[in-house]
Amino acid sequence: MLDVSQVSHSYAAGGRLWRKPAIPVLQDISFTLEPGMCLGLLGVSGTGKSTLGKIILGLQRPTAGRVSFAGQDWYARDRRARHHMRREVQAVFQDCYSAVNPLMSAGQIIGEPLRNYERLSALEQKRRVAELLEQVGLQASDADKRPAAFSGGQLQRINIARAIALRPKLIVLDEAISSLDMVNQTQILTLLSQLRADYGMSYLFITHHIQAALTISDRMLVMDKGQIVCTADSAAALMSSPHPAVQQLIAARLPEHPSQRLDWSSET
Amino acid sequence: MTGAIIVQANPLLETVDLAVQCRTASGKLDLLQGIHLRLEAGRVLGIVGESGSGKSLTCHAILGLLHRTQMQRSGQVRLQGQELTNYSERQMRRVRGAQIGTILQNPMNAFMPLHTIGTQFVQTLRTHDGTLSRRQALRIAVEGLDNMGLPHPQRLLRQYPFQLSGGMLQRIMIALSMCLKPKLLIADEPTTALDLVSQLQVLRALDRLRRECGTAILLVSHDLGVIAQMADDVAVMRHGRIVEQGSVHQLFDDPQHEYTRLLLDSRMTAYHPLEQEQEQEQEQEQEQGGRRDA
Ligand SMILES: Nc1ncnc2c1ncn2[C@@H]1O[C@H](COP(=O)(O)OP(=O)(O)OP(=O)(O)O)[C@@H](O)[C@H]1O
Ligand SMILES: Nc1ncnc2c1ncn2[C@@H]1O[C@H](COP(=O)(O)OP(=O)(O)OP(=O)(O)O)[C@@H](O)[C@H]1O
Ligand SMILES: [Mg+2]
Ligand SMILES: [Mg+2]
Repeated sequence: MLDVSQVSHSYAAGGRLWRKPAIPVLQDISFTLEPGMCLGLLGVSGTGKSTLGKIILGLQRPTAGRVSFAGQDWYARDRRARHHMRREVQAVFQDCYSAVNPLMSAGQIIGEPLRNYERLSALEQKRRVAELLEQVGLQASDADKRPAAFSGGQLQRINIARAIALRPKLIVLDEAISSLDMVNQTQILTLLSQLRADYGMSYLFITHHIQAALTISDRMLVMDKGQIVCTADSAAALMSSPHPAVQQLIAARLPEHPSQRLDWSSET
Repeated sequence: MTGAIIVQANPLLETVDLAVQCRTASGKLDLLQGIHLRLEAGRVLGIVGESGSGKSLTCHAILGLLHRTQMQRSGQVRLQGQELTNYSERQMRRVRGAQIGTILQNPMNAFMPLHTIGTQFVQTLRTHDGTLSRRQALRIAVEGLDNMGLPHPQRLLRQYPFQLSGGMLQRIMIALSMCLKPKLLIADEPTTALDLVSQLQVLRALDRLRRECGTAILLVSHDLGVIAQMADDVAVMRHGRIVEQGSVHQLFDDPQHEYTRLLLDSRMTAYHPLEQEQEQEQEQEQEQGGRRDA
């Protein structure tokens, strides 16, 4: 369904005061994503995960390579056709508060894609919004509340409701659960798995959290310095990868209990 | 004489009955209530709690960064015995720069979008030490960025905030807030956008600042691993109140509040598929080994 083929990208380094060669961010990325599949994308900070996400969302034209969705080249189409295709690919980002307009009500936020793509009567729109709210574990009466009245976890549910409003084929989740507490993270992961089972959507799940990626993904890609260095279909396969970047990610741990603290006291 | 005793008896940071109300169309809404916190020099006080429980709001209330018309603050905030609630906006700005370092939850807001990272370091460093040359300031900046494990610090100095990834900005902000070696550091979710490799680097640097400069750290995090590694004491927040407060060991070994227990449980059960698989493999190996022995 999604076919990323030999994609490379460098951002133009065109500051006002100096000219430097462009810095390569992605190199020769290829993978495919089948309908209903969840692909986890892991890697340390700054390796190009979000850049790849933006390219797949149609927001950033790569400097080389091809991205095709349902057999059509994303970046070869004109704007109009892209607008049409865009309803099939939605996104949820990390910062749930800045993703929404603080002056809009939850109902307006969730209803926005419906207004843009589907002409519904006011009544029908209201019914759809109520349905969506319930699907993500909120109540129909929450439609009138403003973002400030919700906790981060609830607001992320609203962002998810907006993303699924048009029944897209693919959702790009870029660190979508990272800013939530563990209780909410687990709940949102469960919700995402459920929605995927119900609608057969695919996810590109970008995260720095190995365990979260393992919980939800069918396959994981590990990126390092703009390249895919490991493709794994299970935790065991991931752990047995010899690549140092993968090993480093697996080895890094925080203690589970204060008695297991890493001792840094002798360092200067 | 009494002065000396008072200085000793005062913690570095103390809040007494700190509260925040929000004015809405339908009346006043309590967002924070009865926040009593105490933090000594060189120690780390962790704040945990679910999203929306008021952790960030507590930081903003201490820093005097609340929305002026919408929010109303009451109670006391003392830094080294000084009552900050009486300070003017101008005085507060000086305190925030020189004595309190801040790492806010949304890194993008912490930067001036049209200035390079290098310029922001130079400006920050020079407002507090006018004798520093641009060159010296840049040298301090490179060292700070290097400590965060950021590659190519020289190149970073010439880049603009929009050119950097979320996790890079977060680490740059931490380096920026640490370069002045503040007495108090308020760190609101400093490592949320970071992978564990980078997280460990950041936490290590914070720990070094605490040890070498005696900086006290108010550390907000939803990650109990971060709390276990860093905190001496912990306050658990829920619905704008502190529901439990004590030493980090007490919290992990004998959690009093139901929500604290829920937090601890959610971490043990849901998040260790890696370990489960490892254990299963080990068990299988042992079984096989046993069979071989027999
Ligand atoms: N608009 C831009 N202009 C120039 N360089 C950019 C731009 N956006 C990102 N970069 C660079 O591209 C690289 C990859 O950034 P990206 O945001 O894709 O990383 P990431 O893997 O998502 O990291 P993180 O985990 O920290 O979010 C970084 O080195 C960053 O500096
Ligand atoms: N301007 C506002 N008007 C009304 N309520 C607000 C406003 N700003 C914040 N709140 C409320 O205050 C509560 C505390 O928010 P705060 O940002 O402190 O939570 P938090 O504990 O930091 O959560 P997170 O872990 O998601 O960062 C939230 O429930 C929020 O809805
Ligand atoms: Mg990113
Ligand atoms: Mg917060």
